[in-house]
Amino acid sequence: MTDIALFVKVSRGDIVKWDRSKIVEALLRETKIAPKMAELISREVERTIVNSKIKFITAPLIREVVNEKLIEHGLEEERKQHTRLGLPIYDVEQMMVYKNKENANVPHGPESTNLVLAESIKKQYALLRVFTPGIAAAHEKGDLHLHNLGMIDRPYCSGNSLEYIKRFGLNLPNAISIAKPPKHPEVLIGQMIKFSAALQGVFSGAIGWDAVNLFFSPFLAGIDDKQMEQLAQMLIFEFAQQAVARGGQSIFSDLNLYWEVPKHFRDVPAVGPGGAFTGNDYEDYVEESRRFASALFRVYLQGDAFGRPFFFPKPQVHITEDFFSSEGYEDFLRLVAETSSEMGNPYYVFDRKGTAKISECCRLSFKLEKSDFEDAKSPWKMRYSAVQNVTINLPRIAYEASGDDAKLFELLGERMRLVAEAHRLKRDFVSSLLGLRGSGPLGLLAMDLDGEPYFRMRRATFLFGMLGLNEMVQYHLGKELHESDEALKFGLKVIAFMKKEAEALGEVYGMRFVLEQTPAESTAYRLAALDLKHYNGKANGVVKGNARSGDVYYTNSTYLNVGVRMSPIERVKKEGLFHPLIEAGSLSHIWIGEARPNPDSISNFVVKTFKNTMNDQIAFSPEFTCCLDCGRRSQMEVKKQ
Amino acid sequence: MRLKGFVDTSFVDWDGKIVSTVFVPTCNLRCPFCFNHQLILHPEKYPDVPESAVTDFLKRNGDFVDGVCVSGGEPTTARGLKRFCQDIVSLGFKVKLDTNGTNPGALIELVSEGLVNYVAMDVKAPPDEKKYGLATGTRSPKVLESVKESVSFLIESGVDHEFRTTVVPSIHSDDDVEEIAKWLRGSRLYVLQKFQPERAWDRRLRKFHSQSDSEMERLASVASRHLGRVKWRGR
Repeated sequence: MTDIALFVKVSRGDIVKWDRSKIVEALLRETKIAPKMAELISREVERTIVNSKIKFITAPLIREVVNEKLIEHGLEEERKQHTRLGLPIYDVEQMMVYKNKENANVPHGPESTNLVLAESIKKQYALLRVFTPGIAAAHEKGDLHLHNLGMIDRPYCSGNSLEYIKRFGLNLPNAISIAKPPKHPEVLIGQMIKFSAALQGVFSGAIGWDAVNLFFSPFLAGIDDKQMEQLAQMLIFEFAQQAVARGGQSIFSDLNLYWEVPKHFRDVPAVGPGGAFTGNDYEDYVEESRRFASALFRVYLQGDAFGRPFFFPKPQVHITEDFFSSEGYEDFLRLVAETSSEMGNPYYVFDRKGTAKISECCRLSFKLEKSDFEDAKSPWKMRYSAVQNVTINLPRIAYEASGDDAKLFELLGERMRLVAEAHRLKRDFVSSLLGLRGSGPLGLLAMDLDGEPYFRMRRATFLFGMLGLNEMVQYHLGKELHESDEALKFGLKVIAFMKKEAEALGEVYGMRFVLEQTPAESTAYRLAALDLKHYNGKANGVVKGNARSGDVYYTNSTYLNVGVRMSPIERVKKEGLFHPLIEAGSLSHIWIGEARPNPDSISNFVVKTFKNTMNDQIAFSPEFTCCLDCGRRSQMEVKKQ
Repeated sequence: MRLKGFVDTSFVDWDGKIVSTVFVPTCNLRCPFCFNHQLILHPEKYPDVPESAVTDFLKRNGDFVDGVCVSGGEPTTARGLKRFCQDIVSLGFKVKLDTNGTNPGALIELVSEGLVNYVAMDVKAPPDEKKYGLATGTRSPKVLESVKESVSFLIESGVDHEFRTTVVPSIHSDDDVEEIAKWLRGSRLYVLQKFQPERAWDRRLRKFHSQSDSEMERLASVASRHLGRVKWRGR
């Protein structure tokens, strides 16, 4: 072995003498290279470094030189296996010092920088190791978008039941202390929020809670109005102020609320303080459940200390046929509508004809199936998850199909097969982590307190998102969705095709594939910008925004053009036509260009949307602004009469 | 009827209802605080809205829309108002009329024939000729006389209604609000509206501020001394 007066700073934090055999060892350990080739490359690297006459070198730099030699020998696969993940020093400095402009939800600070840096490395890892080169390339080119790549080692979002905490307390793996099932409502709130924060650490997306007011109700017997209000405040403020959690982000949380006791919970034995059954069924707690729902909305209506809306936890009010025969529904609906009018935050979830849903984030909801209704008898079992969301760039398919229907559907089918494969790979990766059970990174999800792991892969869903249906149809037919019946019909045909394909692929893969309206606004920008660059002659006629300045986007999912002034009535009707096809949840935003719409008129609209349309979910956005500097709201400084 | 504006879906023009609102571009008053004066002075700047645009929308969306709000300007100055109301009613929709009450004849006719289901009438000042003249930019004593007749008619007619006053800092005092309230005894609803200085017709009024929420609360409590139901609206 050559004795060279060269020192190497190694990654583990030491300075050692140059030793060429370390290169051979690393190549043999990390790649599938032939031993002779490893030997050859190590000699070439040594020659290069010796010739440079440097006296001191870092291990990462040696690795880069080795990679360069691998390329020279045409060993591309081995180079990928041997590569180092990381960031240029310039980028790291920019991130640490300056605010992240791309994601307004992430506050600037050391915690958030940690998150961004970690995510960028995990994203590189995901594209190199979890997915195939074909899928990675499809993501990078913008044929599709793999969401949450920086959180490749977690499932996407989750729907949870308070019954789990009520039965088992806060008994998390690796926790320093374990809490028994709560005996007091304040403790239940505390455990719920801590559990949410823990879940946020193992899911990349939203943390939803089912029938919150109902499951609280056995803890609320005999509580007076003042205490009730206090508990409601505690629940909302504690959730809203969890911005101290992961990366300084709030917990993306949803509270599902019911005025009536949902059918599937009526004769379910209620769990009360101390994890014991109270001897009553949930139906017997309807009064407490309603009082708590109203108290929560009074807090939402007041807003925070400055009268601003609470963005999290999002209130999701479920409306069913039974809602309209429940005592006091009109007053409750008016209170929720008043909150819509003043603050805009309630979501109205329409569960028609005996379906039930748990909403997880702004658009995602799970329809409960037959087997779920079986679970409902032991509601702590009701925990659901979507593992991944992949969005297909629809306008690009139209550009490539050049007006040919058959070609368009053929390409769409191809993209969907790619998405299915991406889902399989993600499932296998997450399953391998879950397989390590308590000692693995997803130990929390392997927690087994009721005879099966907390995370139930067999019940998991995989999402097919879509972006820019409006622009796809616009390019293909020359008309946007709202401009002609033919365009709208074609749009429906595309989504119906996607639904059928997803189901067929699900059969083949033995996985549950459903469509979802993609919520990510940054994807709408990324894919439009890529198309503007690579499909210039075609994309510039249809992208929305300002093509000159590059501030462009595609219309979200199956929405109609958001920039076009259109009656909210026609919007909920037309957008609602797509909703039955999109099983994992859809939403219409009702933009009201009027300040403080009349709450009774809002209720009126909600009732008619339930009764006269197929729309799945709506939320209102009245006109108001909040000053970020002083925190005050303006334009709509009107209090209730 | 000549229409210059159409809000197909409004959540603010008729409490509890979803309505389509149309605007006529003519008015017989010159209220200095009017915020729709551009429509009156320069109607040519606004595109005509054919009645068919309104009726087509109503026919498509009868499952949501409860009625039509006819506003302006002053609808009773427009030719064809009655026939327009008849058309709306025959399509199965309710009609709300926004009026300044200066044309009691037209008002009485529309209400008596069942062509209007709700009337929102502006009361611009207390029943004092000088004050009414100042608030409406007119000198004719007939204005107040007609308004008085409309007020009495609405209170006695049994038709659902509201009276409303836009409260302007330099024009209306607390006493004025109280005087108006006394005048309107027996009415179903009285609504105080915030002044919108930035859009006021008379530039001199634009330097004033709009009332705060608490000022509006206070004024509403003044009016409440004499009236059953009092509300306030405004941004």
